[in-house]
Amino acid sequence: MRAFTFSSVPLDPERHRAELADPGAGGYASFEGWVRDHNEGRRVERLEYEAFEALAVKEGERIVADAMARFGVSRAACVHRVGSLDIGDLAVWVGVSSAHRGEAFAACRYIIDEVKHRVPIWKKEHYTDGDSGWVNCERCAAAAHDHDHDHDHAHAPAGSGSAFEHDYSRQVALPEVGAAGQAKLAAASVLVVGAGGLGVPVLQYLVAAGVGRIGILDGDHIEASNLHRQPLYGIADVGRAKAEVAAARLAMLNRDAQVDAIAAHATRDNIDELVAGYDLVVECTDNFRAKFLVNDAVVRAGKPAVFASVHQYEGQLQLYRPQPDWPCLRCLWPTAPRDGLVGNCAEAGVLGPVPATLGAMQAMQVLQLILGLHAGASSALVMVDLLTLETRRVSARRDPDCSHVLGASTDAPDAAPVELAFTTLTAAVESGFELVDIREAWERGFDPPHASIPLHLPLSDLVNGRVQFPAQGRYLVICAHGVRSLSLTEHLRSLGQSEVYSLRGGLAALRC
Amino acid sequence: MIDVHVQYFAVLRERAGLSQETVATAAATAAELYEELATRHPFNLPRSMLRVAINDEFADWSRPLGAGDRIVFIPPVAGG
Repeated sequence: MRAFTFSSVPLDPERHRAELADPGAGGYASFEGWVRDHNEGRRVERLEYEAFEALAVKEGERIVADAMARFGVSRAACVHRVGSLDIGDLAVWVGVSSAHRGEAFAACRYIIDEVKHRVPIWKKEHYTDGDSGWVNCERCAAAAHDHDHDHDHAHAPAGSGSAFEHDYSRQVALPEVGAAGQAKLAAASVLVVGAGGLGVPVLQYLVAAGVGRIGILDGDHIEASNLHRQPLYGIADVGRAKAEVAAARLAMLNRDAQVDAIAAHATRDNIDELVAGYDLVVECTDNFRAKFLVNDAVVRAGKPAVFASVHQYEGQLQLYRPQPDWPCLRCLWPTAPRDGLVGNCAEAGVLGPVPATLGAMQAMQVLQLILGLHAGASSALVMVDLLTLETRRVSARRDPDCSHVLGASTDAPDAAPVELAFTTLTAAVESGFELVDIREAWERGFDPPHASIPLHLPLSDLVNGRVQFPAQGRYLVICAHGVRSLSLTEHLRSLGQSEVYSLRGGLAALRC
Repeated sequence: MIDVHVQYFAVLRERAGLSQETVATAAATAAELYEELATRHPFNLPRSMLRVAINDEFADWSRPLGAGDRIVFIPPVAGG
Protein backbone atom coordinates (compact mmCIF):
# COMPACT_ATOMS: atom_id res chain seq x y z
CA MET A 1 0.00 0.00 0.00
CA ARG A 2 1.08 3.61 -0.44
CA ALA A 3 2.79 5.14 2.55
CA PHE A 4 0.44 8.07 2.91
CA THR A 5 -2.99 8.56 1.35
CA PHE A 6 -6.16 10.52 1.80
CA SER A 7 -9.57 8.89 1.71
CA SER A 8 -12.92 10.55 1.19
CA VAL A 9 -14.77 7.37 2.21
CA PRO A 10 -14.78 5.66 5.64
CA LEU A 11 -11.54 3.89 6.53
CA ASP A 12 -11.33 0.13 6.86
CA PRO A 13 -8.56 -0.62 9.35
CA GLU A 14 -8.83 -4.39 8.86
CA ARG A 15 -7.98 -4.02 5.20
CA HIS A 16 -5.06 -1.66 5.88
CA ARG A 17 -3.78 -3.94 8.63
CA ALA A 18 -3.72 -6.90 6.25
CA GLU A 19 -1.65 -4.88 3.80
CA LEU A 20 1.12 -4.49 6.37
CA ALA A 21 1.42 -8.24 6.95
CA ASP A 22 5.03 -9.35 6.69
CA PRO A 23 6.48 -12.77 7.50
CA GLY A 24 9.48 -11.05 9.13
CA ALA A 25 7.30 -8.99 11.44
CA GLY A 26 6.82 -10.09 15.03
CA GLY A 27 4.41 -7.34 15.87
CA TYR A 28 2.04 -4.70 14.63
CA ALA A 29 1.07 -1.43 16.28
CA SER A 30 -1.58 0.94 15.11
CA PHE A 31 -3.14 4.21 16.10
CA GLU A 32 -6.66 5.33 15.32
CA GLY A 33 -7.74 8.93 15.65
CA TRP A 34 -11.50 9.28 16.21
CA VAL A 35 -13.90 12.19 15.97
CA ARG A 36 -14.92 13.16 19.52
CA ASP A 37 -17.98 15.04 20.61
CA HIS A 38 -16.33 17.98 22.31
CA ASN A 39 -13.46 20.38 21.92
CA GLU A 40 -12.39 23.13 24.32
CA GLY A 41 -15.67 22.96 26.18
CA ARG A 42 -17.96 23.03 23.16
CA ARG A 43 -20.20 20.20 22.00
CA VAL A 44 -19.21 19.04 18.55
CA GLU A 45 -21.75 17.48 16.21
CA ARG A 46 -19.60 16.64 13.20
CA LEU A 47 -16.51 17.93 11.45
CA GLU A 48 -14.91 18.36 8.08
CA TYR A 49 -11.34 17.78 7.03
CA GLU A 50 -9.75 19.57 4.16
CA ALA A 51 -6.23 19.11 2.87
CA PHE A 52 -3.95 20.60 0.32
CA GLU A 53 -3.43 17.14 -1.08
CA ALA A 54 -0.49 17.54 -3.45
CA LEU A 55 1.70 18.98 -0.74
CA ALA A 56 0.21 16.97 2.09
CA VAL A 57 0.79 13.60 0.43
CA LYS A 58 4.40 14.47 -0.26
CA GLU A 59 4.97 15.56 3.33
CA GLY A 60 3.11 12.52 4.67
CA GLU A 61 5.20 10.15 2.57
CA ARG A 62 8.32 11.82 3.84
CA ILE A 63 7.20 11.33 7.43
CA VAL A 64 6.51 7.62 6.92
CA ALA A 65 9.85 7.16 5.13
CA ASP A 66 11.62 8.99 7.97
CA ALA A 67 9.94 6.75 10.52
CA MET A 68 10.90 3.58 8.66
CA ALA A 69 14.49 4.71 8.36
CA ARG A 70 14.69 6.03 11.89
CA PHE A 71 13.20 3.02 13.64
CA GLY A 72 14.10 0.30 11.15
CA VAL A 73 10.55 -1.05 10.91
CA SER A 74 9.54 -3.23 7.99
CA ARG A 75 6.29 -1.61 6.89
CA ALA A 76 4.37 1.52 7.81
CA ALA A 77 1.48 3.49 6.41
CA CYS A 78 -0.91 6.27 7.27
CA VAL A 79 -4.38 7.06 5.88
CA HIS A 80 -6.18 10.30 6.66
CA ARG A 81 -9.82 11.13 6.04
CA VAL A 82 -11.03 14.17 4.19
CA GLY A 83 -14.62 15.31 3.86
CA SER A 84 -17.44 15.24 6.36
CA LEU A 85 -17.16 12.99 9.44
CA ASP A 86 -19.55 12.12 12.25
CA ILE A 87 -18.83 11.53 15.93
CA GLY A 88 -16.98 8.23 16.38
CA ASP A 89 -15.76 8.08 12.81
CA LEU A 90 -12.19 7.09 12.16
CA ALA A 91 -10.29 10.25 11.12
CA VAL A 92 -6.77 8.94 10.80
CA TRP A 93 -5.17 5.51 10.87
CA VAL A 94 -1.48 4.68 11.33
CA GLY A 95 -0.10 1.14 11.17
CA VAL A 96 3.40 -0.23 11.57
CA SER A 97 4.69 -3.78 11.37
CA SER A 98 8.11 -4.60 12.68
CA ALA A 99 10.35 -7.39 13.91
CA HIS A 100 10.04 -6.11 17.48
CA ARG A 101 7.29 -4.27 19.33
CA GLY A 102 9.41 -1.39 20.65
CA GLU A 103 10.18 -0.04 17.21
CA ALA A 104 6.59 -0.56 16.09
CA PHE A 105 5.21 1.52 18.98
CA ALA A 106 7.85 4.20 18.54
CA ALA A 107 7.38 4.51 14.77
CA CYS A 108 3.61 4.63 15.15
CA ARG A 109 3.83 7.39 17.71
CA TYR A 110 6.34 9.29 15.59
CA ILE A 111 4.15 9.14 12.49
CA ILE A 112 0.97 10.41 14.12
CA ASP A 113 2.81 13.18 15.98
CA GLU A 114 4.59 14.36 12.85
CA VAL A 115 1.45 14.14 10.70
CA LYS A 116 -0.46 16.29 13.20
CA HIS A 117 2.36 18.77 13.25
CA ARG A 118 3.59 18.93 9.69
CA VAL A 119 0.92 17.89 7.22
CA PRO A 120 -1.31 20.74 6.02
CA ILE A 121 -4.75 19.48 7.03
CA TRP A 122 -7.56 21.74 8.21
CA LYS A 123 -10.40 20.76 10.47
CA LYS A 124 -13.72 22.56 10.67
CA GLU A 125 -15.88 21.73 13.69
CA HIS A 126 -19.65 22.03 13.59
CA TYR A 127 -21.06 22.64 17.05
CA THR A 128 -24.41 21.57 18.45
CA ASP A 129 -25.40 25.24 18.78
CA GLY A 130 -25.24 25.59 15.00
CA ASP A 131 -21.99 27.52 15.00
CA SER A 132 -18.85 26.26 13.30
CA GLY A 133 -15.13 27.07 13.23
CA TRP A 134 -11.81 26.05 11.80
CA VAL A 135 -9.54 24.71 14.51
CA ASN A 136 -6.24 23.09 15.12
CA CYS A 137 -4.58 24.28 11.96
CA GLU A 138 -1.13 24.64 13.34
CA ARG A 139 0.30 25.94 10.11
CA CYS A 140 -2.10 28.86 10.17
CA ALA A 141 -1.33 29.57 13.81
CA ALA A 142 2.33 29.64 12.96
CA ALA A 143 1.69 32.15 10.23
CA ALA A 144 0.93 34.69 12.95
CA HIS A 145 -2.46 35.87 11.82
CA ASP A 146 -3.72 38.61 14.02
CA HIS A 147 -7.42 38.02 13.49
CA ASP A 148 -9.37 35.33 15.21
CA HIS A 149 -10.23 32.10 13.57
CA ASP A 150 -13.93 31.81 14.18
CA HIS A 151 -14.90 32.13 10.55
CA ASP A 152 -15.00 30.13 7.38
CA HIS A 153 -11.48 29.48 6.41
CA ALA A 154 -10.20 31.48 3.52
CA HIS A 155 -6.47 31.27 3.85
CA ALA A 156 -4.47 29.74 1.07
CA PRO A 157 -2.95 26.50 2.24
CA ALA A 158 0.72 26.61 3.17
CA GLY A 159 2.99 26.07 0.21
CA SER A 160 0.60 27.51 -2.32
CA GLY A 161 2.13 30.96 -2.22
CA SER A 162 0.79 32.33 1.05
CA ALA A 163 3.33 34.47 2.86
CA PHE A 164 4.84 32.77 5.87
CA GLU A 165 6.67 35.37 7.82
CA HIS A 166 9.48 34.01 9.92
CA ASP A 167 9.14 35.21 13.48
CA TYR A 168 12.38 36.72 14.75
CA SER A 169 10.70 38.47 17.70
CA ARG A 170 12.76 36.70 20.34
CA GLN A 171 16.03 37.96 18.93
CA VAL A 172 14.73 41.32 17.74
CA ALA A 173 13.70 41.89 21.38
CA LEU A 174 17.36 42.17 22.32
CA PRO A 175 18.18 45.87 22.56
CA GLU A 176 21.42 45.27 20.64
CA VAL A 177 19.57 43.59 17.78
CA GLY A 178 16.26 45.28 17.08
CA ALA A 179 14.81 45.73 13.62
CA ALA A 180 18.03 47.32 12.41
CA GLY A 181 20.05 44.30 13.50
CA GLN A 182 17.61 41.94 11.84
CA ALA A 183 17.98 43.92 8.62
CA LYS A 184 21.76 43.55 8.88
CA LEU A 185 21.37 39.79 9.22
CA ALA A 186 19.06 39.67 6.22
CA ALA A 187 21.59 41.62 4.17
CA ALA A 188 24.55 39.45 5.21
CA SER A 189 26.13 36.56 3.33
CA VAL A 190 28.23 33.84 4.92
CA LEU A 191 30.28 31.04 3.39
CA VAL A 192 30.40 27.93 5.58
CA VAL A 193 33.27 25.65 4.62
CA GLY A 194 32.49 22.13 5.80
CA ALA A 195 29.00 20.90 6.76
CA GLY A 196 30.07 18.37 9.39
CA GLY A 197 30.12 18.36 13.18
CA LEU A 198 30.99 22.05 13.39
CA GLY A 199 29.21 23.13 10.24
CA VAL A 200 25.82 21.65 11.10
CA PRO A 201 25.10 23.87 14.12
CA VAL A 202 26.69 26.85 12.36
CA LEU A 203 24.33 26.39 9.43
CA GLN A 204 21.26 25.72 11.54
CA TYR A 205 21.68 28.78 13.72
CA LEU A 206 22.65 31.14 10.92
CA VAL A 207 19.73 30.06 8.76
CA ALA A 208 17.31 30.19 11.70
CA ALA A 209 18.53 33.66 12.66
CA GLY A 210 17.69 35.00 9.22
CA VAL A 211 21.12 35.45 7.64
CA GLY A 212 20.18 36.32 4.08
CA ARG A 213 22.51 34.17 2.01
CA ILE A 214 24.54 31.17 3.04
CA GLY A 215 26.96 29.10 0.97
CA ILE A 216 27.66 25.51 1.95
CA LEU A 217 30.98 24.30 0.59
CA ASP A 218 31.42 20.58 1.18
CA GLY A 219 32.46 17.92 -1.31
CA ASP A 220 31.82 14.96 0.99
CA HIS A 221 29.03 12.45 0.97
CA ILE A 222 27.19 11.60 4.17
CA GLU A 223 28.64 8.55 5.89
CA ALA A 224 26.98 6.47 8.58
CA SER A 225 29.81 7.41 10.92
CA ASN A 226 28.83 11.11 10.59
CA LEU A 227 25.35 10.80 12.05
CA HIS A 228 26.26 10.72 15.75
CA ARG A 229 27.60 14.27 15.56
CA GLN A 230 25.78 15.69 12.54
CA PRO A 231 22.09 15.25 13.40
CA LEU A 232 20.94 17.46 10.54
CA TYR A 233 21.25 14.26 8.50
CA GLY A 234 19.35 10.99 8.80
CA ILE A 235 19.87 7.34 8.01
CA ALA A 236 18.26 7.69 4.61
CA ASP A 237 20.79 10.39 3.65
CA VAL A 238 23.84 8.13 3.83
CA GLY A 239 25.68 8.28 0.52
CA ARG A 240 24.10 11.55 -0.59
CA ALA A 241 26.03 14.77 -1.19
CA LYS A 242 26.31 16.60 2.10
CA ALA A 243 26.00 20.11 0.71
CA GLU A 244 22.80 19.23 -1.13
CA VAL A 245 21.11 17.44 1.76
CA ALA A 246 22.07 20.25 4.12
CA ALA A 247 20.64 22.87 1.75
CA ALA A 248 17.37 20.93 1.43
CA ARG A 249 16.97 20.56 5.20
CA LEU A 250 17.81 24.20 5.85
CA ALA A 251 15.29 25.32 3.27
CA MET A 252 12.62 23.69 5.44
CA LEU A 253 13.87 25.61 8.44
CA ASN A 254 13.65 29.12 7.08
CA ARG A 255 12.57 30.27 3.64
CA ASP A 256 14.16 33.68 4.13
CA ALA A 257 17.65 32.35 3.61
CA GLN A 258 19.05 31.74 0.18
CA VAL A 259 21.15 28.62 0.60
CA ASP A 260 23.76 27.84 -2.06
CA ALA A 261 24.84 24.18 -2.09
CA ILE A 262 28.38 23.92 -3.43
CA ALA A 263 29.20 20.22 -3.55
CA ALA A 264 32.95 20.58 -3.90
CA HIS A 265 36.06 20.63 -1.74
CA ALA A 266 37.92 23.85 -1.13
CA THR A 267 40.84 24.01 -3.53
CA ARG A 268 43.36 26.59 -4.62
CA ASP A 269 41.40 26.93 -7.81
CA ASN A 270 37.99 27.71 -6.33
CA ILE A 271 38.56 29.25 -2.91
CA ASP A 272 39.29 32.86 -3.89
CA GLU A 273 36.25 33.15 -6.10
CA LEU A 274 34.03 31.60 -3.44
CA VAL A 275 35.35 33.79 -0.64
CA ALA A 276 34.84 36.85 -2.85
CA GLY A 277 31.14 36.04 -3.06
CA TYR A 278 30.43 36.33 0.67
CA ASP A 279 30.88 38.84 3.49
CA LEU A 280 32.57 36.43 5.85
CA VAL A 281 33.69 32.84 6.15
CA VAL A 282 33.22 30.15 8.78
CA GLU A 283 35.84 27.42 8.64
CA CYS A 284 34.38 24.11 9.81
CA THR A 285 36.43 21.44 8.08
CA ASP A 286 38.38 18.67 9.75
CA ASN A 287 41.72 19.15 8.04
CA PHE A 288 44.62 21.57 8.16
CA ARG A 289 44.90 21.75 4.41
CA ALA A 290 41.45 23.36 4.11
CA LYS A 291 41.94 25.52 7.19
CA PHE A 292 45.08 27.10 5.81
CA LEU A 293 43.61 27.40 2.35
CA VAL A 294 40.71 29.35 3.85
CA ASN A 295 43.05 31.37 6.08
CA ASP A 296 45.15 32.47 3.14
CA ALA A 297 42.10 33.28 1.04
CA VAL A 298 40.44 35.47 3.70
CA VAL A 299 43.75 37.24 4.35
CA ARG A 300 44.07 37.96 0.62
CA ALA A 301 40.45 39.06 0.35
CA GLY A 302 40.46 41.09 3.58
CA LYS A 303 37.41 39.30 4.96
CA PRO A 304 36.70 38.17 8.52
CA ALA A 305 36.62 34.47 9.34
CA VAL A 306 35.81 32.26 12.29
CA PHE A 307 37.88 29.10 12.70
CA ALA A 308 37.28 26.15 14.99
CA SER A 309 38.64 22.66 15.48
CA VAL A 310 38.02 19.87 17.92
CA HIS A 311 40.02 17.00 19.30
CA GLN A 312 38.19 14.41 21.40
CA TYR A 313 36.78 16.46 24.31
CA GLU A 314 38.46 19.76 23.49
CA GLY A 315 38.03 22.51 21.01
CA GLN A 316 39.83 25.59 19.76
CA LEU A 317 38.19 28.73 18.43
CA GLN A 318 39.89 31.59 16.63
CA LEU A 319 38.52 34.73 15.08
CA TYR A 320 40.24 36.51 12.21
CA ARG A 321 39.50 40.13 11.39
CA PRO A 322 41.14 41.96 8.52
CA GLN A 323 43.02 44.48 10.65
CA PRO A 324 46.73 45.21 10.50
CA ASP A 325 47.38 44.11 14.08
CA TRP A 326 45.27 40.96 13.97
CA PRO A 327 46.97 37.55 13.90
CA CYS A 328 45.98 35.01 11.27
CA LEU A 329 46.16 31.23 11.54
CA ARG A 330 49.69 31.28 10.15
CA CYS A 331 50.84 33.72 12.83
CA LEU A 332 50.03 31.01 15.35
CA TRP A 333 51.18 28.09 13.26
CA PRO A 334 53.90 29.34 10.93
CA THR A 335 54.37 25.85 9.56
CA ALA A 336 50.99 24.55 8.49
CA PRO A 337 50.63 21.23 10.31
CA ARG A 338 50.25 18.20 8.11
CA ASP A 339 47.06 16.20 8.17
CA GLY A 340 47.27 12.76 9.62
CA LEU A 341 50.06 13.65 12.02
CA VAL A 342 47.78 15.08 14.67
CA GLY A 343 44.53 13.21 15.21
CA ASN A 344 41.31 14.14 13.43
CA CYS A 345 37.80 12.90 14.29
CA ALA A 346 38.20 9.66 12.35
CA GLU A 347 41.40 8.71 14.11
CA ALA A 348 40.99 10.25 17.54
CA GLY A 349 37.27 9.86 18.17
CA VAL A 350 34.86 12.59 19.26
CA LEU A 351 31.56 13.00 21.11
CA GLY A 352 28.88 14.92 19.19
CA PRO A 353 28.33 17.76 21.66
CA VAL A 354 31.99 18.78 21.41
CA PRO A 355 31.87 20.01 17.78
CA ALA A 356 28.26 21.11 18.42
CA THR A 357 29.42 23.41 21.21
CA LEU A 358 32.29 24.82 19.19
CA GLY A 359 30.02 25.20 16.15
CA ALA A 360 27.44 27.08 18.23
CA MET A 361 30.26 29.34 19.44
CA GLN A 362 31.26 29.96 15.82
CA ALA A 363 27.66 30.85 14.94
CA MET A 364 27.61 33.27 17.88
CA GLN A 365 30.82 34.90 16.66
CA VAL A 366 29.36 35.28 13.18
CA LEU A 367 26.18 36.92 14.51
CA GLN A 368 28.32 39.24 16.62
CA LEU A 369 30.39 40.21 13.60
CA ILE A 370 27.30 40.94 11.52
CA LEU A 371 25.48 42.79 14.30
CA GLY A 372 28.54 44.72 15.35
CA LEU A 373 28.60 43.33 18.89
CA HIS A 374 32.30 43.63 19.31
CA ALA A 375 32.50 43.63 23.08
CA GLY A 376 33.99 40.18 23.15
CA ALA A 377 35.94 40.37 19.92
CA SER A 378 39.41 39.20 20.65
CA SER A 379 42.26 37.70 18.74
CA ALA A 380 42.86 35.23 21.56
CA LEU A 381 42.84 31.55 20.82
CA VAL A 382 39.99 30.17 22.94
CA MET A 383 40.47 26.63 24.20
CA VAL A 384 37.48 24.80 25.60
CA ASP A 385 37.59 21.53 27.53
CA LEU A 386 34.14 19.98 27.50
CA LEU A 387 35.05 17.42 30.14
CA THR A 388 36.01 19.95 32.79
CA LEU A 389 34.04 22.88 31.30
CA GLU A 390 37.17 24.97 31.58
CA THR A 391 37.77 27.70 29.06
CA ARG A 392 41.17 29.22 28.49
CA ARG A 393 42.04 32.23 26.40
CA VAL A 394 45.57 32.50 25.14
CA SER A 395 46.42 35.92 23.82
CA ALA A 396 47.84 35.76 20.34
CA ARG A 397 49.78 38.48 18.62
CA ARG A 398 50.48 39.16 15.03
CA ASP A 399 53.74 37.53 13.98
CA PRO A 400 55.79 40.28 12.30
CA ASP A 401 57.48 37.60 10.19
CA CYS A 402 54.22 36.00 9.08
CA SER A 403 53.76 35.85 5.35
CA HIS A 404 50.37 37.55 5.66
CA VAL A 405 51.89 40.54 7.44
CA LEU A 406 54.75 40.83 4.99
CA GLY A 407 52.24 40.79 2.17
CA ALA A 408 54.01 37.85 0.59
CA SER A 409 51.93 35.65 -1.62
CA THR A 410 50.74 32.70 0.35
CA ASP A 411 49.52 31.12 -2.81
CA ALA A 412 52.39 28.81 -3.66
CA PRO A 413 52.45 27.90 -7.32
CA ASP A 414 51.26 24.43 -8.08
CA ALA A 415 54.15 22.10 -8.72
CA ALA A 416 53.85 18.78 -10.53
CA PRO A 417 50.64 17.02 -9.53
CA VAL A 418 51.00 15.35 -6.18
CA GLU A 419 47.92 13.17 -6.44
CA LEU A 420 47.16 10.56 -9.05
CA ALA A 421 43.88 8.76 -9.55
CA PHE A 422 43.71 5.07 -10.34
CA THR A 423 40.69 2.81 -10.43
CA THR A 424 42.66 -0.31 -9.46
CA LEU A 425 45.98 -0.94 -7.78
CA THR A 426 46.94 -3.18 -10.68
CA ALA A 427 46.69 -0.20 -13.02
CA ALA A 428 49.10 1.72 -10.77
CA VAL A 429 51.60 -1.13 -10.75
CA GLU A 430 51.33 -1.40 -14.54
CA SER A 431 52.10 2.31 -14.76
CA GLY A 432 55.44 1.63 -13.09
CA PHE A 433 54.69 2.57 -9.49
CA GLU A 434 55.80 0.73 -6.43
CA LEU A 435 52.94 0.80 -3.91
CA VAL A 436 53.56 1.99 -0.34
CA ASP A 437 50.85 1.34 2.22
CA ILE A 438 51.19 3.85 5.08
CA ARG A 439 48.14 2.73 7.02
CA GLU A 440 48.58 1.46 10.54
CA ALA A 441 48.75 -2.30 11.03
CA TRP A 442 45.31 -2.43 12.65
CA GLU A 443 43.74 -0.75 9.65
CA ARG A 444 45.13 -3.41 7.33
CA GLY A 445 43.56 -6.02 9.58
CA PHE A 446 40.12 -4.55 8.91
CA ASP A 447 40.61 -4.52 5.16
CA PRO A 448 41.67 -7.98 3.98
CA PRO A 449 41.40 -7.20 0.22
CA HIS A 450 44.10 -4.55 0.57
CA ALA A 451 46.11 -6.09 3.39
CA SER A 452 48.74 -7.53 1.11
CA ILE A 453 50.47 -4.47 -0.35
CA PRO A 454 54.02 -5.70 0.19
CA LEU A 455 55.70 -2.41 1.15
CA HIS A 456 54.07 -1.40 4.45
CA LEU A 457 55.48 1.65 6.21
CA PRO A 458 52.97 2.77 8.86
CA LEU A 459 52.77 6.55 9.07
CA SER A 460 53.30 6.48 12.84
CA ASP A 461 56.62 4.70 12.31
CA LEU A 462 57.66 7.17 9.60
CA VAL A 463 56.79 10.13 11.82
CA ASN A 464 58.71 8.73 14.75
CA GLY A 465 61.69 7.85 12.60
CA ARG A 466 61.41 4.12 13.26
CA VAL A 467 61.42 3.52 9.52
CA GLN A 468 62.68 5.60 6.62
CA PHE A 469 60.91 6.25 3.36
CA PRO A 470 63.10 4.82 0.57
CA ALA A 471 65.01 7.57 -1.21
CA GLN A 472 65.17 6.02 -4.66
CA GLY A 473 62.27 4.84 -6.79
CA ARG A 474 58.87 5.80 -8.12
CA TYR A 475 56.27 5.42 -5.40
CA LEU A 476 52.51 5.66 -5.04
CA VAL A 477 51.66 6.36 -1.39
CA ILE A 478 48.41 4.79 -0.22
CA CYS A 479 46.17 5.24 2.80
CA ALA A 480 42.46 4.76 3.46
CA HIS A 481 41.08 8.06 2.13
CA GLY A 482 44.04 9.83 0.57
CA VAL A 483 44.49 12.49 3.27
CA ARG A 484 47.50 11.11 5.12
CA SER A 485 49.12 9.93 1.91
CA LEU A 486 48.79 13.44 0.48
CA SER A 487 50.40 14.96 3.57
CA LEU A 488 53.27 12.54 3.50
CA THR A 489 53.76 12.99 -0.23
CA GLU A 490 53.83 16.77 0.08
CA HIS A 491 56.33 16.41 2.90
CA LEU A 492 58.56 14.14 0.82
CA ARG A 493 58.31 16.52 -2.12
CA SER A 494 59.40 19.38 0.14
CA LEU A 495 62.46 17.31 0.99
CA GLY A 496 63.29 17.09 -2.70
CA GLN A 497 61.93 13.65 -3.54
CA SER A 498 60.16 14.17 -6.85
CA GLU A 499 59.05 10.68 -7.91
CA VAL A 500 56.48 10.20 -5.19
CA TYR A 501 52.71 10.51 -5.61
CA SER A 502 49.63 10.10 -3.47
CA LEU A 503 46.70 7.88 -4.46
CA ARG A 504 43.80 10.33 -4.77
CA GLY A 505 40.94 9.39 -2.47
CA GLY A 506 42.90 6.46 -1.07
CA LEU A 507 41.70 2.88 -1.12
CA ALA A 508 38.13 4.10 -0.65
CA ALA A 509 38.21 5.56 -4.16
CA LEU A 510 39.20 2.32 -5.89
CA ARG A 511 36.66 0.57 -8.03
CA CYS A 512 36.97 -2.70 -6.14
CA MET B 1 65.16 24.40 40.48
CA ILE B 2 61.83 26.17 40.14
CA ASP B 3 58.26 24.91 40.27
CA VAL B 4 56.12 25.54 37.22
CA HIS B 5 52.56 24.54 36.49
CA VAL B 6 52.17 22.63 33.20
CA GLN B 7 48.97 21.92 31.28
CA TYR B 8 48.55 19.56 28.36
CA PHE B 9 45.96 19.68 25.62
CA ALA B 10 44.59 17.34 22.97
CA VAL B 11 47.06 14.74 21.76
CA LEU B 12 49.64 15.76 24.38
CA ARG B 13 47.11 15.19 27.15
CA GLU B 14 46.46 11.74 25.74
CA ARG B 15 50.13 10.90 25.54
CA ALA B 16 50.94 12.29 28.98
CA GLY B 17 47.92 10.56 30.49
CA LEU B 18 47.18 13.67 32.57
CA SER B 19 45.95 17.17 31.90
CA GLN B 20 48.19 19.05 34.30
CA GLU B 21 51.04 18.70 36.70
CA THR B 22 53.38 20.80 38.78
CA VAL B 23 56.97 20.20 37.79
CA ALA B 24 60.18 21.05 39.57
CA THR B 25 62.62 21.82 36.79
CA ALA B 26 66.05 23.19 36.09
CA ALA B 27 64.99 24.09 32.55
CA ALA B 28 65.77 27.70 31.73
CA THR B 29 63.35 28.03 28.81
CA ALA B 30 60.09 26.58 27.59
CA ALA B 31 62.01 24.69 24.93
CA GLU B 32 64.22 23.01 27.50
CA LEU B 33 61.18 22.20 29.61
CA TYR B 34 59.45 20.49 26.69
CA GLU B 35 62.52 18.42 25.87
CA GLU B 36 62.76 17.44 29.53
CA LEU B 37 59.09 16.46 29.74
CA ALA B 38 59.36 14.54 26.48
CA THR B 39 61.80 12.19 28.23
CA ARG B 40 59.14 11.42 30.85
CA HIS B 41 56.05 11.31 28.63
CA PRO B 42 55.78 9.53 25.26
CA PHE B 43 55.14 12.71 23.26
CA ASN B 44 55.03 12.04 19.53
CA LEU B 45 55.01 15.61 18.30
CA PRO B 46 58.20 17.49 17.63
CA ARG B 47 58.40 20.87 19.34
CA SER B 48 58.32 22.60 15.95
CA MET B 49 54.69 21.55 15.57
CA LEU B 50 53.58 23.02 18.89
CA ARG B 51 53.04 26.42 20.39
CA VAL B 52 53.70 27.28 23.98
CA ALA B 53 51.75 29.75 26.08
CA ILE B 54 53.20 31.18 29.27
CA ASN B 55 50.78 32.82 31.67
CA ASP B 56 48.00 32.79 29.07
CA GLU B 57 50.00 34.39 26.30
CA PHE B 58 51.65 32.79 23.31
CA ALA B 59 55.38 32.95 23.92
CA ASP B 60 58.68 32.24 22.20
CA TRP B 61 60.24 28.93 23.05
CA SER B 62 63.32 30.83 24.19
CA ARG B 63 61.47 32.87 26.81
CA PRO B 64 63.09 32.32 30.25
CA LEU B 65 60.90 30.55 32.78
CA GLY B 66 60.04 32.01 36.17
CA ALA B 67 58.89 30.29 39.35
CA GLY B 68 55.15 29.71 39.33
CA ASP B 69 54.73 30.21 35.58
CA ARG B 70 51.69 28.57 34.01
CA ILE B 71 52.93 26.76 30.91
CA VAL B 72 50.57 25.34 28.30
CA PHE B 73 51.75 23.25 25.37
CA ILE B 74 49.27 23.59 22.54
CA PRO B 75 49.14 21.25 19.59
CA PRO B 76 47.25 22.29 16.48
CA VAL B 77 43.84 20.65 16.21
CA ALA B 78 42.00 19.85 13.01
CA GLY B 79 38.93 17.79 13.85
CA GLY B 80 35.53 19.04 12.90
